[in-house]
Amino acid sequence: MDSRYKVQVKDLHKSFGSNEVLKGINLDVEPSEVVCMIGPSGSGKSTFLRCINKLEEPQSGHVYVDGYDLLDPKVNVDKVRENIGMVFQHFNLFPNMNVIENVMLAPVEVKGESKEEAEATALKLLDQVGLKEKAHANPTQLSGGQQQRVAIARALAMHPDVMLFDEPTSALDPEMVGDVLEVMRNLAQQGMTMIVVTHEMGFAKQVADWLVFFHEGVIREQGEPEDVFAHPQHEDTKNFLNKVLQA
Amino acid sequence: MGVRGKHRVLTAMMTFAFALVAGLWFKTGTVHAEPTYTIGTNTTFAPFSIQDKNGGYSGKNPGMEIEILREIAKHEHFKYRFKIMSFNGDLQALSNGQVDAVMAGMSVTDERKQKFDFSTPYYNDGVVMAVAKDSNITSMKQLRGKQVDAKSGTSAAIMAQKYQKKYGYKIKYFESSNTMYNDVKIGQAAAVFDDEPVLRYSIKNGVPLKVVSKKAEYTTPVAIGFKKGQNQELQRKMNNGIAWLKKTGRMQKIIDKYTKSNATHVDDASKRTIWGLIKSNSHALLKGLQETIILAVVGIFAALIFGTILGVLGIAQNKFLNGLSTVIIYIFRGLPMMVLAFFIYIGMPSVIGHKIPLFTAGILTLMLDEGAYVGAIVKGGFNSVDKGQWEAARSLGMPYYKALRKVIAPQGFKLMVPSLVNQFIITLKDTSILSAIGVMELTETGTVIIARNMEGFKMWLIIGVMYIIIVTLLTWLSNYVQKKMSN
Repeated sequence: MDSRYKVQVKDLHKSFGSNEVLKGINLDVEPSEVVCMIGPSGSGKSTFLRCINKLEEPQSGHVYVDGYDLLDPKVNVDKVRENIGMVFQHFNLFPNMNVIENVMLAPVEVKGESKEEAEATALKLLDQVGLKEKAHANPTQLSGGQQQRVAIARALAMHPDVMLFDEPTSALDPEMVGDVLEVMRNLAQQGMTMIVVTHEMGFAKQVADWLVFFHEGVIREQGEPEDVFAHPQHEDTKNFLNKVLQA
Repeated sequence: MGVRGKHRVLTAMMTFAFALVAGLWFKTGTVHAEPTYTIGTNTTFAPFSIQDKNGGYSGKNPGMEIEILREIAKHEHFKYRFKIMSFNGDLQALSNGQVDAVMAGMSVTDERKQKFDFSTPYYNDGVVMAVAKDSNITSMKQLRGKQVDAKSGTSAAIMAQKYQKKYGYKIKYFESSNTMYNDVKIGQAAAVFDDEPVLRYSIKNGVPLKVVSKKAEYTTPVAIGFKKGQNQELQRKMNNGIAWLKKTGRMQKIIDKYTKSNATHVDDASKRTIWGLIKSNSHALLKGLQETIILAVVGIFAALIFGTILGVLGIAQNKFLNGLSTVIIYIFRGLPMMVLAFFIYIGMPSVIGHKIPLFTAGILTLMLDEGAYVGAIVKGGFNSVDKGQWEAARSLGMPYYKALRKVIAPQGFKLMVPSLVNQFIITLKDTSILSAIGVMELTETGTVIIARNMEGFKMWLIIGVMYIIIVTLLTWLSNYVQKKMSN
């Protein structure tokens, strides 16, 4: 692997049964880079993202994060995951805890931080996502957008080097999307390495350093967002962009 | 009270405790010379053995056999303790060497002689025929086309079969004397064949039947059984004692007390109303109820632990552990609980080489049987927690078991509460099955009381109502807890 890269994926293959959904993916992500992945549903972009923290187990290839090979059985995946934050389409907050407990859980249980330390960090992060006053609310009392911002704070509480976003705004009402994207935009400005699966073309255009277009289990096209949007090279890319930009 | 006062009380208490310990030690020291034997006996089998309200045999009228044993032990200088079981349980225990002898109305038969040694007989048991008090039937000739009742597997049943062709009646078989006598009383059956002493004792205690046979048939000697070739010392003592009792006329006196005199009349009519039955048996009933509740609470607690382990194995990311959990759940859900109880209490001791106490056997049975159901509930509960919860927890770097404990289990258990409460109620009711191995819980208490007073309908009504009350209270409590939890 190349130590210049924060995340490096080499020739990744993943099948569900006889259905091969990833057919040899290669991708390099530099520190502080923001990579957006777009493409039609079923093209494999979410599966690819979930391979980066091994929520899905690939059949072959390599995934390096911070230099650790996640597919090496000797590597403790739990340790590597501490450095990879993940945000899900459906938030997945823990309903058996209130907001601040959600944020504090992993730092206390995994890193062994003291309650006071974790609480201070959690309040700071909740403030950062604009939800400090909701610290003691139950997740179910929050709107979707608020829940997603809590989920981001929860992931950040582990002080990760890399953040993975799996369609973070797809399950939100339109008026909620802006707040979440705003939080993500700030995060990008602070220099976080981010890999984002998204349907928000505006966000991809403005924030991404690199745009990747997935189609039928392969990366069909990639490049600077302005170039890909302005001059798509491949037929599939053109078709896709025509559809989503018209909508 | 000042410090000095406290000190004095403490000293007094310590002196007392010391005296108590010394006294106990002294007492055990003096009785050391007398050996103690374990005697297998029946649950109430009147008039041979009649359990008192507490399920023991320490009362004034404990039954013929118990009184005979008391006299023998006194005369031959030994001590004894009872193992009270069903007759079949007694025979098993004797074969396994868990008891030194069985004294339980045991007839001497050729088949049994192959396996057991017998003392000299102390009684001759025979079968007689009885009819309802107001019946005109006086002999078997009048039974053509009618129904005759007998207890299955007894000599009475053999006799009924023998004369069936000749007299042309139908036979109906029963498990308990009480229901059988009732069948005759209400006119379903014309007559009943049963052991003479059992019948006479019941009639003496208010069962409205009369004996019509002139003479008992199928007379078989009744004796004490020993494992073949074992315990010859005890056998010798028993024989000496029986000979002495016969010679001095004490034996006949004891037998007459239970079959002829009014000395052992149980109780009068005022005690046979429902209220009277409750009052005269309240101590035993409450004790039985207490045992039922203790069994249910300890049982469900053990089942929760066992079931949670099964549930955790069932969802583990390991095919072998999943399979193990599935097989264990399958086996213990598939086994009837009574079979499991027999297996643990009667079967296991011969494998592991030492006795399993009754309470322990009961709890083990509940733990395995109810635990299997709890295991299935726990597994289902864990599985119904959204998969996204696992992913969120694991993506934060939480190891598998930490994620399970902190995130999945709390949500899973909340989903399980209604099923678990239901299982607890089932467990409470299932404790009644343990009466089969003789655990003195509420149902067994009822069986014992009814064997004594023959008031089946009223007693089961009382006991049924007691179960309903407890289950109702439990349901209220669980509704309250569930409401609390969902808030």
